[in-house]
Amino acid sequence: MATIVDIQQEKALEVKNFEFTYAGADLPSIKKLNMPIAKNAITALIGPSGCGKTTLLRSFNRIHDLYPGNKYEGEILFNDKNILSSKEDLINLRIKIGMIFQKPTAFPMSIYDNVAYGMRLQGIKNKTELSNRVEKALQDAAIWKEVKDRLKHDANGLSGGQQQRLCIARAIAVEPEVLLFDEPTSALDPISTAGIEELVVELKERVSIIIVTHNMQQAARVSDYTGFMYLGELIELGRTEEMFVSPREKLTEEYITGKFG
Amino acid sequence: MTHTQKRIIINKVVMSLSTLSAMIGMTFLFWILGVLVINGIEALNWTTFSEVGAPPGYEESGLKHALIGQLYIVGVAAFAGVPLGILAGTYLSEYGQKSRLAEIIRDVSDIMMSAPSIVIGAFVYAIVVTPMGHFSGWAGSIALTIIMLPIILRTTDDMLRLVPATLREAAFALGAPKYKVILQVVYRGAKVGILTGVLLGVARVAGETAPLLFTSFNDNFLNTDMSEPMASLTVTMYNYATSPYEDWQKLGWAAAFILSMFILGLNIIARVFLMKKRGK
Amino acid sequence: MNQILDKIFAHATKFIALSVLLIVAWIFTTLFEQSLFSLQASGFDFITETLWAPNLEKFGALPAIYGSVVSTFLAMVLAVPIAIGVAIFLSELAPAKLKSPVGVSIELLAAIPSVIYGMWGLFYFVPIVRDIFGGVGISMLSAGIVLSIMILPFMAAVTRDAMNTTPDILKESAYALGGTKWDVIKDVIIPYAKAGIIGSFILALGRAIGETMAVTFVMGNVHKISTDLTQPATSIPVALANEFTEADTQIYYSSLFELSLLLLVISFTIISIAKFYFLRRKRVGA
Repeated sequence: MATIVDIQQEKALEVKNFEFTYAGADLPSIKKLNMPIAKNAITALIGPSGCGKTTLLRSFNRIHDLYPGNKYEGEILFNDKNILSSKEDLINLRIKIGMIFQKPTAFPMSIYDNVAYGMRLQGIKNKTELSNRVEKALQDAAIWKEVKDRLKHDANGLSGGQQQRLCIARAIAVEPEVLLFDEPTSALDPISTAGIEELVVELKERVSIIIVTHNMQQAARVSDYTGFMYLGELIELGRTEEMFVSPREKLTEEYITGKFG
Repeated sequence: MTHTQKRIIINKVVMSLSTLSAMIGMTFLFWILGVLVINGIEALNWTTFSEVGAPPGYEESGLKHALIGQLYIVGVAAFAGVPLGILAGTYLSEYGQKSRLAEIIRDVSDIMMSAPSIVIGAFVYAIVVTPMGHFSGWAGSIALTIIMLPIILRTTDDMLRLVPATLREAAFALGAPKYKVILQVVYRGAKVGILTGVLLGVARVAGETAPLLFTSFNDNFLNTDMSEPMASLTVTMYNYATSPYEDWQKLGWAAAFILSMFILGLNIIARVFLMKKRGK
Repeated sequence: MNQILDKIFAHATKFIALSVLLIVAWIFTTLFEQSLFSLQASGFDFITETLWAPNLEKFGALPAIYGSVVSTFLAMVLAVPIAIGVAIFLSELAPAKLKSPVGVSIELLAAIPSVIYGMWGLFYFVPIVRDIFGGVGISMLSAGIVLSIMILPFMAAVTRDAMNTTPDILKESAYALGGTKWDVIKDVIIPYAKAGIIGSFILALGRAIGETMAVTFVMGNVHKISTDLTQPATSIPVALANEFTEADTQIYYSSLFELSLLLLVISFTIISIAKFYFLRRKRVGA
């Protein structure tokens, strides 16, 4: 059984007896997983590649549903509702739970249109409201100063780090409750990485954050809670400052001391 | 109705339209294939292969003349076009590489692949048929060779460039001269790819009709003399299909069926080769 | 010895590769030379004159040009939306079980020679056009429809290939913002693959305008400009296919060569636009 620290504060998400099986696979990639996710905090998911951390992350907004044949079991509770239910409205779910990917994913449109995209999907047409919210999102993503004079330029002209901030701006512009980060700095240089990390920490005031990272230092730097996953199971979930100093599980200790992974 | 509901409805409508258009497309395509198979099989029998074309009304009428003519015309075109195309492709990949000249040859070949084939027929008419004074199998073969050349050239070029540079370097390191490296190492490495290109090139010209209309023309009798007008499956099919005689039209369907099966067969074999290559 | 053979091989391949350029140049000059007589006789009138009457030695190519333009336009108007629909179906919609068989059969159908499409059109489609729209069935309309069916597989296949170049992660990020399939297609996939899609449409246009056999069966070769699509008509390749072996005077021949030259120039231009403006070649290994 996993060692799970008691989370006193409110929970953003609650994973219960969750199993996930990829299309065509015989065995589940995630097995009977239980895990609370704290509200307005950053939870990092770490573990060796193939441990299921990205698979778990991609279950929270059910992006797995884009590919037929994937199977969920158990429950993921979000605002007291099981989002794995077949009746779940995926469009609304994804508006409330945003995602940032391993690589910057600027759409083939202008900087402004990228940020406005999610709002436009929700039917916001009012020009002043749109441009106010675009500006706010860009400011919150700490990129406003760099792009304010070229909002109509193609977003693909930005650098990698800038594009990733743009994607964050695009995600927070629709005011989600949860943000999922899937190794958001794996394609970036150290300076851009530091900037994104800083930004992630600032964002937790407003959203609950789950971040998958292959970089333990990053988990230690940014997160409040860390979950260590191994072979599709959650081994330990603890307060980050405690877990990196005195892990309770032997496997966790071996992993964070670099004995495998 | 909220905006999101509207989006969901629009999505459903567009996705239904897309499925519908796929169904429309498939309907036409299966319709054509079905017509081809049903009419073709009905029209096919032994005399189709054993007899030459007879005037309308004769029982003993077949496509022997067209099949043999087709074999000659396409065979000669392939005999010339395949080696020429492979050698030209070899130049692009192994010598010209990214030079200006090589790039121009690639671009012009790409354009030629989509250029109207009837114009090639007109060209060959001017340079071969007019000086000779009459239509001939040779003229047909020359037209098809010109059409085939850029196809084989481009696939050879692409396939040779897929051969890893280390393979060439290893051969050079053993002291082999370049032509031997190409003939013995590079060609071997790209064998399947080149073969695929050849099959597709032959399949493509085998279905050409327009460039043969006024080069090899037609002949209702069996002829194996390439310097005379010669029947081909495609031109015969065109003539029979547009004739008012039902038994000729039937032969036309038989020709259409044989031709399509041949071309589809070559395409399927080429695909299987490619799949095997990718599987490796 | 090896050195000599090496040189021979290098020069031989180069010469053969160059021959492609020589042949193309030769085609242009030959067609031009053969057209000279007609060019001198009728000059610019050739493309503006509407009367094509070999018995009167009058050769106006406008009806054939008009027929080429209208039949190709009809074909594009019909084929483009269906090709996009099929491409969307194949790249985003079809269940995995259907994707490959439908995709492969569409590609195989693109390999079927156009003469087969023409023959099918004559026997099976022309009667339907006649019953629905009146006239004799052999018409501009039939030509446009048969042509559209012929270019559909090619267009659908290349459009699908272009759409498939959109990275999954880009599509996922649009879904992650709450987009529907159609939102993702119109806002991300189509803009991303725009150049490839437009390029392949123009390439299909370039092929369609030079297509001979699919339309020769069903168009009728009547040199008359009519706005009534149910009337027989002609196009440049149709006129060539029908009349080349019948030409009996020098001016008749020369006029047909001028038609060929015109067709070659038009399709070369269209294909070049598609190729150089929209479809920059993807390098192997690059």
